[in-house]
Amino acid sequence: MSDLRIIDIQKRYISAQAREENPFMLHPVRLAIREGEFFSLLGPSGCGKTTLLKLVAGLLEADGGELWVGDENLTNVPPESRRFAMVFQQSLLFPHKTIEDNVAFGLKMQKVGKQQRLKAAREMLEHVGLSGFGSRFPDELSGGQQQRVALARALVANPRVLLMDEPFSALDPGLRQEMRELLSRIQKEFRVTVLFVTHDRDEAFALSDRIAVMGEGKLQQVGSARELYERPETTTVASFLGLRNILGGVIENGHFASSDKIMEAAVHLPLSDGDYFMVIRPEAIKASENGQSGHARVRGVVQEMKYGRGIYSLIVKVRKQLLECVLTIAQAEKTAVGEPIDLFVDMKEVWFLKE
Amino acid sequence: MWRKSKPYLLLLPATGAIILLFFGGIFDGLLKSFGYFPAIGQTDLNLAAYERLLSSGAFWESLRLTLRVAALSSLLSALIGALVAIALFFLNDAMRTKSPKAWHRLFQLPLTIPHLVAGYIIVLLFMQSGFVSRILAAIGWIDDIADFPVLVNDPFGWGIIFTYAWKEAPFVSLMLYPVLSRIHGSWREVSRVFGAGNWPFIREVVMPVMMPAWTVATFIVFVFTFSAFEVPYLLGVTYPSVLPVYSYQLYTSGTLADRPEALAINMILAAMTILLGLVTYYFSKRWNVLKGWG
Ligand SMILES: Nc1ncnc2c1ncn2[C@@H]1O[C@H](COP(=O)(O)OP(=O)(O)O)[C@@H](O)[C@H]1O
Ligand SMILES: [Mg+2]
Repeated sequence: MSDLRIIDIQKRYISAQAREENPFMLHPVRLAIREGEFFSLLGPSGCGKTTLLKLVAGLLEADGGELWVGDENLTNVPPESRRFAMVFQQSLLFPHKTIEDNVAFGLKMQKVGKQQRLKAAREMLEHVGLSGFGSRFPDELSGGQQQRVALARALVANPRVLLMDEPFSALDPGLRQEMRELLSRIQKEFRVTVLFVTHDRDEAFALSDRIAVMGEGKLQQVGSARELYERPETTTVASFLGLRNILGGVIENGHFASSDKIMEAAVHLPLSDGDYFMVIRPEAIKASENGQSGHARVRGVVQEMKYGRGIYSLIVKVRKQLLECVLTIAQAEKTAVGEPIDLFVDMKEVWFLKE
Repeated sequence: MWRKSKPYLLLLPATGAIILLFFGGIFDGLLKSFGYFPAIGQTDLNLAAYERLLSSGAFWESLRLTLRVAALSSLLSALIGALVAIALFFLNDAMRTKSPKAWHRLFQLPLTIPHLVAGYIIVLLFMQSGFVSRILAAIGWIDDIADFPVLVNDPFGWGIIFTYAWKEAPFVSLMLYPVLSRIHGSWREVSRVFGAGNWPFIREVVMPVMMPAWTVATFIVFVFTFSAFEVPYLLGVTYPSVLPVYSYQLYTSGTLADRPEALAINMILAAMTILLGLVTYYFSKRWNVLKGWG
């Protein structure tokens, strides 16, 4: 197996300008990415995603740590010999080369014969839906097409790992969606290992087998999209994933009481007594009880209603706490901004974490 | 109408004087090269001076030397200029955080020195009794300063070529550097990831990108060295001499009869310079609309 293993790679930028207060530091990262896996690094801008990706590519020199692919130690191998490929935010095609020559660039560097590499380039262009564009120059293509070419250029040389740094963030939403589907299809077809960087939660969720959430130069949590969303380990991860209903409180004898006293309910998880944060996904809050047990009831006032793709999303104020929930159109039509509303929190769907 | 043409009208005295002196001078030279010389009663125009010139061996010898010196100095400065520009480019890349300004200044130094002074520097350095020769003799590389090759005032024109190479190389790199700086910093990263080390990167990306500007810069140097006077006058030999010097020699020879020939040389030089200038202009225009630069 050719897993990609990042073992305690770390980096501190030394700034040349008059000593900065605290230069950015990437704390030791330990990750194992399986062969053929689609792995995403997800985190807010400036948290060190690009830094980590460039360390993996070898474009930055690490202060410490090792990088392995399978049983090969790549720590001291220069980037040009790692047989990796990369797609950046801009396509970065060479303007003086035709599309075909751009795609064939990696193969040319590997000294593949002209006929053979152009043939491979044409085939790869077909895969990304650009057959017939080979003899054009990059400026004769749209932004989305250029990014497809960049993808073709990355894949044609059969890389061990494909590194992608926010490759679709410069595209408009429709195109972005299309490119995600294309990437997903091609990745499965070629079974290439992908390390994908994004700050877009939906993008990471839609594409990845596993995701590492990053924050402030550290790996916060690694897991599948579902694991991260339903069982975040820290409030940082939870709020980065868009979970805003976080209530501090205490569990005592299997009973949770929030510190602002807006709710109290039996806990369905075997947790010892202590201080906890309760994370309530918006989907775990319902507008009617449905006759099921295990719901905690809270009463609040609708503060905001937003329509979005077939559902309503509501902000409800319960004393000082704001709760976000999603309602069907039928439920939402029964209420309005400023009206009181009864909400039922499904205690089987909530998650507790200790800080 | 008035508002639009006002600036031009205000410039008229200055441009008028320049046009009069420049084109007047050329026109005067042209007339005289055709044998028009009222002071000695010559008022009919003929091509005698040109005929004499084109049938004289000295003219062809001088033309050959001029072309050789111009070609070698432009090639040499093109080569050195490109190396310097690429070196600066990589230096800049490597020291992005530190200041590469000092290096830039150092390489720009020759640009600020007048040609005449540059010529003298070369003379002082490379003459047989010059600085370099004396140092080599002192450390024992050569037995006697007379063993030092004749590089200044030599029949081949090495002294002239060296001067121009040293003086024009920074010009070439100055022309190239902005083009190189258009090379996206990230292209280096892209090509590294795709397997290109330094040399393949230079071959595949740097060279093709700078080729047009390089060719045009070399052309400009060629046109300049082709028609320049002071450096070959200082560093050349009496025979053969480059065309501008040859013209000067004829003009000041003392015989009035040689003057139409001297001016005929100037006219030929002017015509060739204009022609080469147009060719350069044509190519620079054509290559500016670079495929793919958008
Ligand atoms: N070359 C550098 N020198 C110093 N600091 C840098 C350099 N590159 C990035 N940084 C800093 O490192 C931090 C992380 O940057 P980056 O890895 O690009 O973040 P991300 O890709 O997650 O947005 C930022 O605060 C940035 O300012
Ligand atoms: Mg980034």
